[in-house]
Order: sequence, then C-alpha cells, then structure tokens
Amino acid sequence: MKRLKRHLPDAIMAFTALSFVLPLVVMLLTSFKPEAEVLNPESVVPDDWTTSNYQHVLGWSEEAPFVRWLLNSLFISTTVTLLVMLFSAMAAYAITRLRLPGTKAFLGLVVATMMLPAQLFLVPVYLILSQLRLLDTPWALIIPATAGGFGVFLMCQFMRAVPRTIEEAALIDGCSKLGVFLHVNLPLCAPALATLGVFTFIGSWNDFVGPLIFLDSIRNYTLPVGIALYQSSYVTEYGLTLATSVLATAPLIVVFMVFQRQIIESMATSGMKG
Amino acid sequence: MDWLRRVAPYLFITPYALAFTCFIILPFFVAFGLAFVKLELTSQQPAAFVGFDNFREALGDPYFRKSLWVTVYFVVLAVPTTVALAMALAVGMQAMTQRWARNTVRAMLFVPGMLNVAVAAILWQWFFNGEFGLFNHLLESLGLPRLPWISSRALAMPSIVFMTLWWTVGGSAILLLAGLQQIPGELWEAASLDGAGAWKRFTQISLPMVRPVLLFVLVINTIGAFQVFGQTYLMTRGGPELATRSVVQYIYETAFNNYRLGYGAAMSWLLFMLIAAFSLVQFFVLRKVDA
Amino acid sequence: MGAKAALVLMAMLSLGLYTAREWDGTLGTSDERVIHLNFWNGFTGPDGRTMLEIIRQFNESHPGIEVTMQRMEWAIYYNKLMVAGIDDRAPEVFVIHASTLPRFARAGFIAGIDELFEGSPPRLPLDDFEAELMRQLRYDGQTIGVPMDIHPQGLYLNAALLREAGLVDTKGQARPPVTYDEFMAAVHAMHDDPDGDGRADQWGFSWSMWRHNFQSLMPQFGGRYFNDDGTSALDCPENVAALAFMVSLREGELLVPPPENNLGWVGFRQKKVAMVFDGVYMLGDLKRLEGLEYVAAPMPQIGPNPGTHGDAHVMCLQEDLDDDTRAAALEFMAFVSDHGLNWADAGQVPARRSARESEAFKSMQVQSAFAEQLPYVLFPPRSPAVFELQQQLDFAVEKALRGRATPEEALREARENFETFVRNAGLPMLADSEAPS
Repeated sequence: MKRLKRHLPDAIMAFTALSFVLPLVVMLLTSFKPEAEVLNPESVVPDDWTTSNYQHVLGWSEEAPFVRWLLNSLFISTTVTLLVMLFSAMAAYAITRLRLPGTKAFLGLVVATMMLPAQLFLVPVYLILSQLRLLDTPWALIIPATAGGFGVFLMCQFMRAVPRTIEEAALIDGCSKLGVFLHVNLPLCAPALATLGVFTFIGSWNDFVGPLIFLDSIRNYTLPVGIALYQSSYVTEYGLTLATSVLATAPLIVVFMVFQRQIIESMATSGMKG
Repeated sequence: MDWLRRVAPYLFITPYALAFTCFIILPFFVAFGLAFVKLELTSQQPAAFVGFDNFREALGDPYFRKSLWVTVYFVVLAVPTTVALAMALAVGMQAMTQRWARNTVRAMLFVPGMLNVAVAAILWQWFFNGEFGLFNHLLESLGLPRLPWISSRALAMPSIVFMTLWWTVGGSAILLLAGLQQIPGELWEAASLDGAGAWKRFTQISLPMVRPVLLFVLVINTIGAFQVFGQTYLMTRGGPELATRSVVQYIYETAFNNYRLGYGAAMSWLLFMLIAAFSLVQFFVLRKVDA
Repeated sequence: MGAKAALVLMAMLSLGLYTAREWDGTLGTSDERVIHLNFWNGFTGPDGRTMLEIIRQFNESHPGIEVTMQRMEWAIYYNKLMVAGIDDRAPEVFVIHASTLPRFARAGFIAGIDELFEGSPPRLPLDDFEAELMRQLRYDGQTIGVPMDIHPQGLYLNAALLREAGLVDTKGQARPPVTYDEFMAAVHAMHDDPDGDGRADQWGFSWSMWRHNFQSLMPQFGGRYFNDDGTSALDCPENVAALAFMVSLREGELLVPPPENNLGWVGFRQKKVAMVFDGVYMLGDLKRLEGLEYVAAPMPQIGPNPGTHGDAHVMCLQEDLDDDTRAAALEFMAFVSDHGLNWADAGQVPARRSARESEAFKSMQVQSAFAEQLPYVLFPPRSPAVFELQQQLDFAVEKALRGRATPEEALREARENFETFVRNAGLPMLADSEAPS
C-alpha cells in the first residue's frame, strides 16, 4: 500500500505526459496518410501507409530547397541563441552587479517594452533594416532578435541569486571585472543560461512572419516557413503541411532530447536560489 | 588605464543596449509618434498630425472595447490555469521517484511548445471541428453528446485556452521545476521531522522558496496572454461573432488589413497601459508577500 | 558542459554554418548580363506549382531573363507587398486580386501597361479579354494590370452520392440541379439519417465560405454593393432576400449542419456533404483526393436571375523600372497570359476567350462548367474600402446564419458600420474614376 502511494505520482505524471504527446502522435501518423484520408476521424492510424507526402516535400528542390533551408535555420537559430545568451548575461551582470547609474530604470524600460505588441514594430523594423541594407539577408532575422527583453529579464532574476561573497573573494584575489564575469558569474548562471538558450533557439526556429516579411529569396527562407507554402486562405494541403512540420520539428526535438540532461539537469545542482 | 576602468562596466551593457536602441527604442518612438497622426498607407497623402483623435476614436470604438473584453477574458482564463497547472506539473515531477522517468516526462510536456503555431492551429482546428472533427468523433463513440468546441460563442474561448494550455504549459512547468529543485534538501528534512504533511510542506517551503521564479512565470505569462493572437487568429479568425478576436488581432487587422497605422498604434498604447497596470499589481502583490 | 565551453562551441558552429551558407551561395551565381525579375504572389499550394512550371518554361525560352517567384498566403502577402511598395522595394511583377486593386492603385507604385495592348499587331489582343473586367482595371485613364484568370464560385457535387439518390440523367450519369426546385429536391434527397437519431449523418448541402456564398447569391436576387449615386447598398431589399434564403435552409428541418464557417468543404472532402458552393480554385485540392468522385456545375438558379460571384488574379508592373527591365517584365506578363491554358489546369478559368474556346479547355470538366457563368459574374465593386466591406459582410452573414439578427438587421448594421469605418479611415467609397459626375 505504502509502495503504491509512493509510486502514485509516477503513474499520474506518466499518464499526463502521454496525453500531452498524443496530438503529436496524431500529427506524425497523419503525415503518412494519403490526402483523401487526412481529415478522416474514423481512422487515426493510416489505412494505407504512404511516404508520398515526404517524397513530395523533399523531392522538388525548386519549390522547396530543404537542405538549404535547414542550413539557414541552423545558422540563424544558433547565432541568435549565442548572441542572446552572451548579450543578456553581460547586460544582466552590468545591471545587477556593476552599480552603474540608471541601470534599474533601464531594466524597467526593457521589461516595459515587452508589453508592446510585436506587430506594432513590424513596419518600423522593416524600414530600419532597409536603411541598414540588411533585408533579404539572415541578419535581418538575427539582429532584431537580440533586442528582446526576455533574456535580460530572466538573467537578472537569476544573477541576483548568485551569492556576492564568491565574487568578492575573486575580486580580492585580484581578478578583473571581466575575469569575475567569465570565471564566476557565467559558470554559476549556466543553468539559467541554458534555459534561456533553449527558449531562444525554439523561438527563433519557429519565427514565421519575420522570414516572410524580411526575406525575399526562397533560398534564404528558414525551415518552418516551408509550412507556409502548403497553406493558403482556402486550401490547406494537410498531408504536405504536416510532413513539413514533422521535418521542421524533428531537429528541435532531437537537440532537446540529446542535450536536455546537460541543459536542464544542471539547474538542479547550482544556480537559482530563492 | 584609469579611463578603461571607468569605461569597462559600460562595455558589458553596450552590445545589448545598442541592439535594444536600434530595434526596440527607435521603432518604439516611431510607434509613439504614429499614434498622433492620421496615416493610411495606401494613400499618397503625407501623415497629418491629429493630436489625441486616434485615442478618442479608440475609446469610442465598440469593436475595440469588445476586443479588450475578449482579451481580458482570455487572460483571466489562461493565466491562472497555466500557472496553477505548471505548478502542479512541477510538483508532480519533483515527486517522481525515478530520475530518468522525470527527465522523460519533462521532455514530453515540453515538446508541444516546439510546434509551430501554424501547425498547432490547423491540427487543433480539425480536432475541434463541430461536425467532422476528431474530438466529437471520440465523444460520440463513447456515447457522449457532441460539443460545439470553437463554433459556439460560449465554448470558443475556453477551447482556445485548452489548446493554449497544452501548447505552452510545459515551458512554465520546466522553469518552476528548476526553481523547486534549488530548494536545499535540509529544509525538507527539517519539515519532515516536524511532521509536516504534503500540503503544509508545499505552502510553507515550496511556495515561498520558488517565489522569484513564480513571479517571472506569472509576469511572462500575463504579458504573453495579453498579446494573444496567433492561435485565435489561425483557429477561429476571431469568431464566432468576434467572441475570440483579441486586441492584438484587431490592431493587426487595423494596421495591416485596413492599413491604418496611426489608429493601430494608438490602440497599441492603450493595450500597453493595461498590461503595465496588471504587471505592476503583480509585482506589488508578490513583493508584499515577500516582506 | 560548462557555460564557456558551450558558448565557444556555439560560436564555432555558427561560424561553420556561415561558411557553409556562403560556399553554397557562390555555387549558384548567375550571369551578369541576365535581367532578374522578382515575381510575387499568393499562390501557395497547388496553384503555385503550376505557376513554377510556367516560369520554368519562360526562363528556358528567354535566356536573357531570369524570373524568380516568391509566394505566401494572401493575407501576409498583401501586408508585405504594401510595406515593400512604400519603401520602393516592390517586386518588378506582382499579382493582385481585381477586388483589391482599387486599394493598391492609390498607393502609387503600379505602372500603366497600355503599350501591351497597342501597336499592330498588339502584343496582347484587347478584345480577347472580358470588357467588363478590363473596365475594372482602368485607373486615371490607364490600364494597370493583365488579368490571368476569372475565378467564379460554382457548384461542386459528389457524383456517387447523386447517383445513390437517383439524381441521374438518361445515361445514368449524375445530374446537377439547375433550378431552385431541383436544388431543394437534391438537398432533401441526399440528406440522410440512417440511425434515425434526428442527427443527420450525411448532408445534401452545406454552406462553405459564408461571405462568398452570400456574394454568389446576391446577383441572383438582383443585389448590389453600391447604388448608382455612389452610396452603400449593402442592405438593399435584394441583398436581404439573398441572405434570407441562406437563413431559410437552417430553419425548420436541419437541412444543413449547424453553422461553422468553411465546414462545408471539410464535409465534402469526407464525403459527408453532397454539394457545396465554392471557388474554381478549390479544384487543386480535390485533384489530390483519390476516391472522391466529383463533378462541377454552374450555380443553380435560386433567385429570379442566374448569377454568381467572381474575382480575378491580375498581374501588375512596378513603376520606376529602367527600359530593359520594363520590357522584360512586360514580356513575362504577356507570356503568362499566353499560357492561360496551363494556368487553367491549376483550377482557374483563363481570362482570354481564345483559351476558353480551345478544345483543351472544353475537356476540363470543372473549369469549363464554371466558365459557363462568365456572362453573369458579379465582380466586387471598384471600392478602395474593399477590406472594410468584406469584413462587414463577414459579420453580417455570420450573425444572420446564427440567428442572432434578422437578415435585414444584420445587413443594416453592416452598412452603418461600413459607412463609419470608411469615414474614420478617410477613404472614398468608390474609386475616383467612378465617382458620380
């Protein structure tokens, strides 16, 4: 009885987790159906399996240069993630540790701007990118993405929790500010940084409107934008859309599964203290 | 070397501040200015300064008011349920006995959030379809009555909240679990020795200790919920009868379908003020508990 | 893995990917002497693939010109086009619906293309196009677009279900309903509730895109968008009658499923709805559905007149092009126009009479059935406030179908709101050239 009670959370959580994944299983199964079967609720499992959706999506590089898109997506998301992690950690260090005048107000401003709907910025950002001659380059997606407030806000919340005593000891040992940042704060905030990295990578990967508005050449598109090619206001090619989606999401899931131990597990051992 | 010492601290904040200035502050001022002009993109007339006219129009616009209510309704439904469910999932994961199982569960809860909104929306649109959808087919085969998921004014918003929970709760749960796992083990041992029950341990240890993360999760979810757009726009186009047209959708349609940038900007500022007020209250309340 | 190591690793990865992209980019460098044309449109899905094929043919037969196409869903596309247009970054050639052209014409980045129709012989014969449509494309004394197609709404039928219900001709083939009585009989005949629980398991008919359904019925009852004096006519009695018919199918017996926008098409795909009204462009979707036996027919005549709603895709040219680019772009537009039959294959009715009269077109069952309606297609009005108009019609039809307002109340509210919107936005109701004299 006692043993049963102890394992009750395991059972409940396993069941919950399964129900969360079910819609994705439906998506995966549906991507192997012929178009006529796609929306049929009576057979969630395909009656006759087909890979024709995948063959179509991967097969016509003139319409959908998939490998090129994968390369673009990887480059853009990796670079955005790197820059956001770096900029946010540095800014948070300056805000929480360096006693600069006005930093508190700056953080307030950063959080406040997060409350303005992003759609409002679309036209001004387009015009700025145009002036900087960055339209239709990957930088049009990378540079504006580093300006968001989420990372700085998150890193400040975590950085505050790092005990000052450790830094002070390092300073007494003759470490420079840069040294303290590199050797003390950055490692101590690794878990928070990793979390930020995961969220940033996923956000950048899934950006949908940005690539369509800021890029003109199909060759510069990112993977998820491919989904847009099979959907219109009236007709959705469900099989092709879902197959593209599976292909676009799979790299994310693989990266997350492989690195999740390093990424999130490390949080348990150090970092945020309430 | 002395000047370097004085300049160095600023170097830490410079890269972010530069990006922030170019791509947030600058557009922000443009957006601020836009709210006071009448600018219709398709006309070749230059923008004309109209003072507070756009704001006045917004306050008297029944569609704007309607969309505000819709948005507040979404926030009131979605934020508490997301945060509460995320907390429950985090506590549940923490209580799991097997480490590998916990890791697996955490990943599985997080996976829906990796799905592109366009795909999540078309998938759930079909699940929710009143006559030919998956959910009603399942309900019917269980002998239960069908539900007009996204086709009735009463159910549409709860249905969208349901989908949003599935889509976004994993991220919040991960953050909260990380917070819970920071709590030093001695605290739990001490509580067990005192004979504290599970509920007492939760309210007296978990909740206070995890508060900074909780505040972050709450604020981020609130800001996000006030800006709800993608899933409602793609699943219901704001219907039925505008029951799910959020403020951001109305702003989007005004600025980009009707090309009235000035009016869209004015409504954005009103939304901004509303979000700011909500967030300040949250900060204030949670700080107060802290003291 | 430490934080520093991770950052360094990511930096290396980023650099590596950058190099890979650059290297990949240098492989495809094109000839300097070639004129590059950007062609933007909203042809996602199957239409886009047909268009890609036409472009491939053009690029092969015109070595000096290279056309590349960018396409995205119409709503995002129109936003992008407008933003790019005001920033002088509009593509050389782009597609706009005839209905939205009055709005874009005001922004001033569309060039006149009359020279395509002039000279002897002209590159494109003007009399090969529908006069009514060409009138729609004239602004400030210039023609500003080449129509690619006309896409009317019509009737799609599930042939198997029609035969099952005995709705056949003398040869045993499915016979589409033509008159009001035949239509209603068909709706009843194919309404099926085998388990007798009062809830149909198969419907004879369902509404699909509500606004398009309504716009298709409007001309049948003699309805219109504007009065001759330029005032809004959204709630004229004829329009009310058309909407009242839509509502009547819901009252009493549940002849059509409960209202949910675009439900009809999902049901038609699932073979649970026997008939829907929809656009000819939906054919691309049907072609991919194996096992669904479909036929098309003109809209049945529900009201006193025959009639349907139709729009057109129009190719436009950017202003401010140098002479060579302009000539190349015009040649491309003419080439696409000449290949109307290829385009028709995607599920369109070609804009040119010569293409419609060809044997090849007559053998396209769906397209030619829809094309029969061209003499009485009602095009959207020449109003710059077209988006506002469509939005108000959306609301009105939805309200009436849900029984939340009478057709009359719903349309009156639509007219009042439309007038307010137009006033607030500072838009003229109708394009200047059509203003009352």
